Amino acid sequence: MILSLLSIYAPSFPKNIIYMLQTCEYRPLPYLVWLWRTKDYSTVQHRQKLDRTNYAKALLMIIYVGIAVEILVGILMIIFGLADHIVGLWPFGAALIVIYPLIWPHLILIPLVLGNAYIVKPRQNQQIIASAKIFAKYPGVKIAVAGSYGKTSMKEVLKTVLQADRKVVATLANHNVPIEHAKLARNLDGQEDVLIIEYGEGEPGDVAKFCQVTHPNYGIITGLAPAHLDKYKTLKAAGDDIFSLASYLKNRHVYVNSESVAAKEYMKPQFIQYDEHGAGKLKVENLKISITSTKFKLVNNKQTINVNSGLIGRHQVGVLSVVVLIALELGLSAKQIENAIAKTKPFEHRMYPYELSGAWIIDDTYNGNIEGIKVGCQLLAELKAKRKVYVTPGLVDQGSETAAIHNQLGRYIASSKPDLVVLMNNSVTLYIKEGLIGAGYKGELRIETNPLNFYLNLEHFVASGDLVLMQNDWPDNYH
Amino acid sequence: MNKLKIGVIFGSRSTEHDVSIITAIASIIKPINLTEEYEAVPIYIDKLGRWYCDPALADINLYTKDNIGNYLAKLRPVLLELNGGFNLIKPGLKDKKLKIDVIFPATHGTHGEDGELMGMLDLINVPYVGSEMPASVLSMDKSLAKIMAEFSGIPTSRFVFFYAKEFLNNQQAIMMRLKDLNFPLFVKPVHLGSSIAISRVTDNKALVNAIELAAHYDEKIIVEEAVNNLVEVTLPIMGNNELKPALLEQPLLKDEAFFDFNTKYMSGGKKGKNTKQGAQGYSKLPADLPKGLYKEAEEIALKVYRVLGLKGIARVDLLIDLKAKEVYFNEVNPLPGSLYAHNWQQAGTSSVSLISQLIKLAQERFEEKKELNTIFETNYLKQY
Repeated sequence: MILSLLSIYAPSFPKNIIYMLQTCEYRPLPYLVWLWRTKDYSTVQHRQKLDRTNYAKALLMIIYVGIAVEILVGILMIIFGLADHIVGLWPFGAALIVIYPLIWPHLILIPLVLGNAYIVKPRQNQQIIASAKIFAKYPGVKIAVAGSYGKTSMKEVLKTVLQADRKVVATLANHNVPIEHAKLARNLDGQEDVLIIEYGEGEPGDVAKFCQVTHPNYGIITGLAPAHLDKYKTLKAAGDDIFSLASYLKNRHVYVNSESVAAKEYMKPQFIQYDEHGAGKLKVENLKISITSTKFKLVNNKQTINVNSGLIGRHQVGVLSVVVLIALELGLSAKQIENAIAKTKPFEHRMYPYELSGAWIIDDTYNGNIEGIKVGCQLLAELKAKRKVYVTPGLVDQGSETAAIHNQLGRYIASSKPDLVVLMNNSVTLYIKEGLIGAGYKGELRIETNPLNFYLNLEHFVASGDLVLMQNDWPDNYH
Repeated sequence: MNKLKIGVIFGSRSTEHDVSIITAIASIIKPINLTEEYEAVPIYIDKLGRWYCDPALADINLYTKDNIGNYLAKLRPVLLELNGGFNLIKPGLKDKKLKIDVIFPATHGTHGEDGELMGMLDLINVPYVGSEMPASVLSMDKSLAKIMAEFSGIPTSRFVFFYAKEFLNNQQAIMMRLKDLNFPLFVKPVHLGSSIAISRVTDNKALVNAIELAAHYDEKIIVEEAVNNLVEVTLPIMGNNELKPALLEQPLLKDEAFFDFNTKYMSGGKKGKNTKQGAQGYSKLPADLPKGLYKEAEEIALKVYRVLGLKGIARVDLLIDLKAKEVYFNEVNPLPGSLYAHNWQQAGTSSVSLISQLIKLAQERFEEKKELNTIFETNYLKQY
């Protein structure tokens, strides 16, 4: 207890503060939530270390210099206070020295907020405005990918397939905010046939704004689920925002995942729906799912396309189907599509299977939403194994729905009938447990107090014949 | 939640001192510390028999970089307090007492695996992992284990045992007794494991040399007939009353070769080339045997485990004449090196699960033993 309190005076404290700012993407609110909640600052950098970018280095310099000046002023006050018998000066100086760890974690926000407001934001706004002009004039196909989950996977599969016969560029990885769209626009050379732009919504009105900037002519909505409810507050608000993409496109060339229950109420006849049965008029036949592949045929009245992908899970069938459909619409041949689909493979941390000491691990630790949890649990139920293990810390940013969503999460886990469930001990563990018990889960339950220890030593926890599904992982500021 | 303290005793005055360090650190302490329920307390007995307890003793670098001597020089050996359980006293300005809840012996060979440690732990009345003293004594004496097996109708290869002193005093008499055995023969010190000082001989001259070598390591020696068309297999088994076998494992031997210490731990180990199969990289897992023979070998190994009264964990070695389809009991190892965790892992038991199950088995057996009456009221003393 005392050691925890004294951790604010540890030499590593300023570095930990800047690390946490970085982990919170320099957003003051999540940072302050972490700062005020944390009791022990000695063990902050669990998962990663401070990335010493120029920005981080500058902030680190400010905090070190600030602390040094405060301590120096405190010492001078003590000296002069005692030497000149100035009433109250030395205690004030001593207080300054003692309270520096309370002051600087807050003061550091001032240069951050000012820098953001007067330098970063205006510069970014200029770049975004410039990108809007580039996108507006751009003659090629512009495909926007929106939704609460599955956007990055959709974008990557689409890019892999379309680039079999087209010059395609897409936003990088999960870089999906306006400044990243602007970077994409800035780097265009005019030779591209297709642009794929991922929309990373975060608060009401985001998607509508993205449309105004990027001017898409195709839209894919990958699904609707509770995410960013701290800002959206309700699922309806999130749905209204995401489906503003369809409004922008006047409901034409809009492809919607009909497996998403919450998206159903937004469905319109003009939308092209996709799911595990197919996309538009393409129908799925002979579906076979294994730990390493998903195979099926897509059939319409004209042709049959053999799909053999390294992506795994029933939820990928709809994704692959809609990509084939769009590729056909853009004029790619069946052969080109089949060859390109064969190159699709799982992305790291997203339903990514790998072998470890004879066990199969499905790494889905970038999955942070309840729909993703649901499809993961379906996959776990579907695959065969000697022992099935499910691992999760739960989800973050679920706002007032936290209890209900994690209760549901527990029920999804129970439905996959794992032999062992490993929960990372945190604020939502109890709700997941209630869901598990409510759904009659009879297997073993293990609560891990040191998640990192578990992940880093996974080979000691698994054995040959195990199938382990790991979904989501919490960054340090949530612990 | 307070974690149960698991004292892992390793090292000791044994030719298998170094193997014990690896077993303790890699296969026991590490997985114990990955559990939510247990905390490992490393208890190291150095080659002179001094006991030490310090968290740093769980760091393999201390031993691999030859720093252990310097480090121990800074430590003071611990004292044992035996009243009310297994308590370690760390001497200092103010002595520190550390109560151990369960002992996990990780010693191989003499002064540990051979039953001495288990006898002491029984006396202290503390739960511990593995077999008790009588089973350990029987298992670690290859001649006694074979006699027990033969008595229970389990086939073994023909053998003769004698004491080293007998051989030194009257070599001719011993050689006469050995005349009944057919070459090739194996000469083994009866108490040593890890294939130390074991020789395969094909003539009398080599036999004498091999016995002399074995006599340097043990006071009792066993000479066995080799099995023809040999397939050597080993089976790790876990359990007290209900037994759980892992997988039959088949060491990969060259013709006419056998499995000495270097083959087992050095050439195929971490310093060797083939480290993919098994922890020591020398075996076929599971053994490549016809189904019926595999089953028969497994049943014989389980029978040996029961006959010798083994508890917790052990590994039973068998010799199979592949042409005759006959299975012979060879020897048993009451504390398999590294717990044979690689085999358990392949059989579906993770290393964390393995040590958790072994600790639970130790606790169960301790509770069962509590039921036994140790007080018997008599009038015996009143007559004096």
